[in-house]
Amino acid sequence: MKNWTLVWVWLLAFSPVFLQAQTETQPTINSILSGKIVDSKTKEILDGAVVHIKGTTHEVQADKTGQFKFVTGQRFPYTLIISHVGYQTLELTAGTAYIEVALQPTNTRLNDVVVVGYGTQKRRNLVGAVAKVDPSQTKGIPAGGFDAQLQGKVPGLQTTTTTGVPGEAVTVRLRGVTSINADNTPLYVVDGVFINSSSLQTVNTGGKATSPIADINPYDIESIEVLKDAEATALYGSRGANGVIIVTTKRGNFNQKSRVSLDISQGKAWAPPLWKLATGPEHATLVNEYFTNIGGVKPFRPVSEGGRGLPEEQKTYDRLGEIFQTADLMNYDLSVSGGNNVTRFYLGAGYNKQESILKPITFDRASLKFNIDHKLSDKVQIGSANTITRAYRNQGRAGDGPAGGLLQAALHTPTYLSPTNEQGVLVGRAGFDNVSLLLQYYDVHSISLRYIGNVYAEATLLKDLKFRSSWGVDYNNYDESEYWNTYLIAGSPAGLATSSISQNSSWLNEQTLTYRKSVGNHSFGVLLGNTLQSNLFKRTFLQGTGFANNSFTQISSASVVTGTQNWSKNTLASFFGKIDYSFADKYLVDFSARADGSSKFGVNRKWGYFPSVGAAWRLKKENFLNDIEKINDLKIRASYGITGNQNGIGDFASQGLWSGGSSYKDSAGISPQQLANADLQWEKTSQFNIGLDATLFDSRVTVEFNYYYKYTKDGLLQLARPATTGFGTYWSNAAEISNRGFELAINTLNIEAKHFTWSTSFNIAQNLNRIEKLPTPLQYGSRNLILLREGSPMYSYNLIKQLYVDPQTGNAVYEDVNKDGKINSDDRQILGSIWPKFAGGLSNQFTYRNFDLGIQFSYQFGNKTYNHNRFFGEGGGARDAARVIFASNLARWQKPGDITDVPRADGVNVNNYLDAGSRWLENGSFVRLRALTLGYNLPKQLAQRARLQNVRFYFSGSNLFLISPYTGPDPESSANSNQNQPGIDLGTPPQPRSVQIGLNVTF
Amino acid sequence: MKKDLSHILFVSVMALSLGSCSKFLEVHPKESISDAQTIFDKTSAEEAVRGIYSALADGGYYGTSFQSIGYLAGGDIQWTGSQSQVQEFINHNVSPDNSTISAAWTAIYRVVNRANQVISKVPEVTDASLTDAYKKQLTGEAYFVRALAYFDLARVWGGVPLVTKPTLTASDNFGIPRATSEATYAQVQQDLEKAESLLPSTVNRFRATLKTAWALKARYYLYRKDWANAEAYAGKLIADAANYQLVNPYSSFFAGNVKGTAESVLEIYYNGGTETNGHAGQWLPQTSGGTRQWAPNDVLVSLLNNGAIGGNRSALIAKDNQNRWYGNLYRSINASSSYVIRTAELYLIRAEARAQQGNPTGALADLNAVRARAGISPSAAATRDDILLAVENERRVEFALEPQRWFDLVRTGRAAAVLNVTDPARLLLPIPSQQILLDKTLTQNGGY
Repeated sequence: MKNWTLVWVWLLAFSPVFLQAQTETQPTINSILSGKIVDSKTKEILDGAVVHIKGTTHEVQADKTGQFKFVTGQRFPYTLIISHVGYQTLELTAGTAYIEVALQPTNTRLNDVVVVGYGTQKRRNLVGAVAKVDPSQTKGIPAGGFDAQLQGKVPGLQTTTTTGVPGEAVTVRLRGVTSINADNTPLYVVDGVFINSSSLQTVNTGGKATSPIADINPYDIESIEVLKDAEATALYGSRGANGVIIVTTKRGNFNQKSRVSLDISQGKAWAPPLWKLATGPEHATLVNEYFTNIGGVKPFRPVSEGGRGLPEEQKTYDRLGEIFQTADLMNYDLSVSGGNNVTRFYLGAGYNKQESILKPITFDRASLKFNIDHKLSDKVQIGSANTITRAYRNQGRAGDGPAGGLLQAALHTPTYLSPTNEQGVLVGRAGFDNVSLLLQYYDVHSISLRYIGNVYAEATLLKDLKFRSSWGVDYNNYDESEYWNTYLIAGSPAGLATSSISQNSSWLNEQTLTYRKSVGNHSFGVLLGNTLQSNLFKRTFLQGTGFANNSFTQISSASVVTGTQNWSKNTLASFFGKIDYSFADKYLVDFSARADGSSKFGVNRKWGYFPSVGAAWRLKKENFLNDIEKINDLKIRASYGITGNQNGIGDFASQGLWSGGSSYKDSAGISPQQLANADLQWEKTSQFNIGLDATLFDSRVTVEFNYYYKYTKDGLLQLARPATTGFGTYWSNAAEISNRGFELAINTLNIEAKHFTWSTSFNIAQNLNRIEKLPTPLQYGSRNLILLREGSPMYSYNLIKQLYVDPQTGNAVYEDVNKDGKINSDDRQILGSIWPKFAGGLSNQFTYRNFDLGIQFSYQFGNKTYNHNRFFGEGGGARDAARVIFASNLARWQKPGDITDVPRADGVNVNNYLDAGSRWLENGSFVRLRALTLGYNLPKQLAQRARLQNVRFYFSGSNLFLISPYTGPDPESSANSNQNQPGIDLGTPPQPRSVQIGLNVTF
Repeated sequence: MKKDLSHILFVSVMALSLGSCSKFLEVHPKESISDAQTIFDKTSAEEAVRGIYSALADGGYYGTSFQSIGYLAGGDIQWTGSQSQVQEFINHNVSPDNSTISAAWTAIYRVVNRANQVISKVPEVTDASLTDAYKKQLTGEAYFVRALAYFDLARVWGGVPLVTKPTLTASDNFGIPRATSEATYAQVQQDLEKAESLLPSTVNRFRATLKTAWALKARYYLYRKDWANAEAYAGKLIADAANYQLVNPYSSFFAGNVKGTAESVLEIYYNGGTETNGHAGQWLPQTSGGTRQWAPNDVLVSLLNNGAIGGNRSALIAKDNQNRWYGNLYRSINASSSYVIRTAELYLIRAEARAQQGNPTGALADLNAVRARAGISPSAAATRDDILLAVENERRVEFALEPQRWFDLVRTGRAAAVLNVTDPARLLLPIPSQQILLDKTLTQNGGY
């Protein structure tokens, strides 16, 4: 009771009413102090800096010219506390009427505050492996989501953009993969809300899926933290095994004048060099050659002889040129932020529109952001973060499959085939749609409406003891429709339309109690918390076929309508705690534990327990390093812990079920669906991490190194059952997978002159993945190209190895693995995997006067990609009119003595052109100029004359060049979003090259 | 006020933390039910039997894969698509990892399990409204479908593991060694006899009745070369002319999306919405919504278009907008029926059985009945061998797009002569390699 009376007093003391009342009385003026606040290095004025007289309530703010002025009852000398965002807070004693104060920027990474699980920490005190990303450098990369922009930024985080379609899912993997049938995507936490990262898409885009992460406007993001090791992720327990990506959105500052920021950019994107195709005459020549080889009749013989005309009479039709375009990019962001002494806010609105380089695909996002924090008293703070987004997509099938397939229709149709038939009517060829008809009638749309938000209240209960409670919501309404008229394959014979509305809503409630105390050299903290989460998924799907004619496009006009309804839900209850202790900022140690109960698991195994321990030693604090000036800081750290995974498995995976829906002759039927597994439980990953952080040479060099070893047990697996059981698979904990590797990041400040600075960041990482235990091998992907097998890395290519082409016969010679004299699927062997031996990034940042230049490269080395487009395009002519022929096929063997690796044509999936031949497996290594940004800030004086605080013009480019031995346009391309069939490049457009110009104004 | 706030916070924490966690963590699906209580009354018994037919109609079984094995391997179909597992049947070089055989094997055993569930549970149901006769009928249907499933397994793979109990837990029904081919056929006969004893003598062209069981018995005895029984059982349906007829013209059993004509003894029904048949998608050209993954080859096209051989059976093929022939039996995407047993087959079974038993007159009568319906002149065959060959050739065009010819040539030992499949090991298909990996007791067929 007494405490709360005190709170009231404090509250009154701080309230504006009280202050105002005070000024109305005649004050006693004992001193007048004025001054100017500047940056210690650039001498630029720092407006908005807050100057506070220690021990009083009196504070003022520096104006636009950096000037401040006190008229006070205090007598000289007194102590001032001067603070500004991005600068070290300074205490100094004022004794004269005018002072000039220079603030030191907090550019040493040691003092960085890093967001960690349920709190923040100074970088120098980190015990775990955590990487912080400043998203401002990469936000110019045209991609829907910020995840796609992270490539090459964080060692150990592999981001693969598998398509050039903006807003489609990218593959994000931290320190390899740990699971076969549970999800391998990291956990995304946005302002404390665990958000959904799996697509709600139902329309068929050839195996591809939209990215739910693209619902978040990258502009609103203040920082991204990547939690890597068990010490950092254990607090996220069952959801931490794939790493955690914490996204913190922008907030205002207390005591900051309202600031308006406007950012506008416009740009163009275009395709990199595309596939080279055989011309009509070349195609015909190869087809004739094939028929000659097998002793058949040449189809390309004079029309008078019943042929299709001689090869040289064939025309060449360009379909790729018709479907690729120079795409428009535009982005508008407007934000207002500010605050007084009790309230701060951030209000942002954004609009982003991107055309894909592949017609007619577009991505369009409008977003609204509102964050607010308010101090009810100096002991109680409440606040809320809110994101509302509408993402609208014109979608297209840019993956595998014929019906509606955009790129396949353009790329895989033989070039000699006319788009019209003899009557001049546009027709599809080779099993694909006609490109012109596709572009004219494509009608697939989706609208994702998303709300992500949370509210919290935080109270200081006792000195050092804080309590926080929050509620978070992630709601996504995903509305899709498609209509195919009768000109298109999918709409034949009488039109087809689908409409699907999916809703995914999850809520999360969380309580934490933190206690932090320092006594002398001892400092310790305790965290206790619990969370409850629930995720509810609903979908209503309608399909109509049999439309009266092409003018009717709504399902209400269809003659056959079918519908389905889906409902699924899961819940998670968790309790967690953490204790940390440090002695003299020198020895740091912490323990944490989390208990998670999940509705997904078997009655016997609902609860999982996830402990971790970490320790760090700051050697710099020891006497023997004290005098070595070149070392500013040196720390070694180690951690061990267990995290879990349950994402991506069915909500009812452990239950024995029968389902309805097995109807026959229009009457309901029931049937066995799934066998029960009462022992189904958490997939558990134990991880050991050892690391070193060093800051050297006047803090100009920082080095971070990590080595880790992860071992996953009880891996969630849809264990295949023998078919005699009548069941296909059974959810079980049957797999074991290991990952180990290292990560190295080096940041240097190379030159720091008056007008010129140059800094460099380099990172490199290696991950070695291995399936330690798997009862039976699993095959995935077209033609079973991908194999998961005990003892090999996940996603290995299982192929028949072509050794050479016999110069005498022109036949391919393969390795007969089992030496049985036959080449068949028994001779498949693992010939590499999708994993790079090394991957990372290199960026250089230059500033010269008001100019800045950033150049960022990303690279991968040693990974393989299966060029499935080329597999089809190098059929040697045997596919005749059914597929395109690539120009590369012209290098085929023709006569004895020819040295080539392209054999003579002899058929499809026989001898020389075997399915799963190794000839189409290529080196997918690359170096990519990921981002290039050139900026110019208008001189302050000039800007201020226009009453603007800051004006910046910039130019940004992405993917401007690519160095790769890969023969397709993009070694990252992959046809399918299924996590178990990556690395198969088919029918999907490459990432575009782009340039944008932009303007950023702050006032 | 501040005190209230902190109170609210604390109370909510306590309530949430101490609230019953176990209840919170118990979530049950809405689209499915627990397998603890499945078949317990009349309605659920009926629904479980429909579930068997639904599996019979599945894409892996009569809804495409299994049937495609029969017609692709018959020598008259060409492959035009990109998936080379189709080509393997045409070339008679099927590899153990062929996805079609895997799909068919899996789909057929799914049918077996569903039938076993009914066979074991329906007789135990106590529900006054479920009469004894109806119980018998439902159980009899399950026996019939199980007989069909083992018959199909036997003719594709030879002897297979015999599973006759339902799978209730993860440890049931594997590790069962393959029975011999004889034992598998014995299981078929035993199930057919059980079905015969339980099923009512009604007419239902979409589900099993006593008549359907007789028809399958006729085919069974034909395969077993028990000519007398084959003739007798085929005759039982032919004699029922009020219900089973050769509808005229030939196309009238499938054209215009008709269903359940008097031609059909057993036809799998698809409503095109929730119950879909994949056949049309494989046969029809793009303009009709298909992929024309496979199509009649030149030989078949000329046979069907030959007025003296195909007659009005030329309705089975048509040309697309690029002048290419396509198969036109399954005409409606998703909604076409699949045909399991037609009256014409019973005539040709009896013709063959009669010829084998030295009754050329009777054999020719049956053969010519089928020819007459096709609008072609009576057969000129006279000797036993000529008649048998005429029946074989008639079946080729009569069932041009149905899964008969490959199985016919295998059972008559003519695959080597007609299709040049000289390796006898190729007459049986390989057990799917994945299944051998999963179940160590399964052994591969010789030659694979």
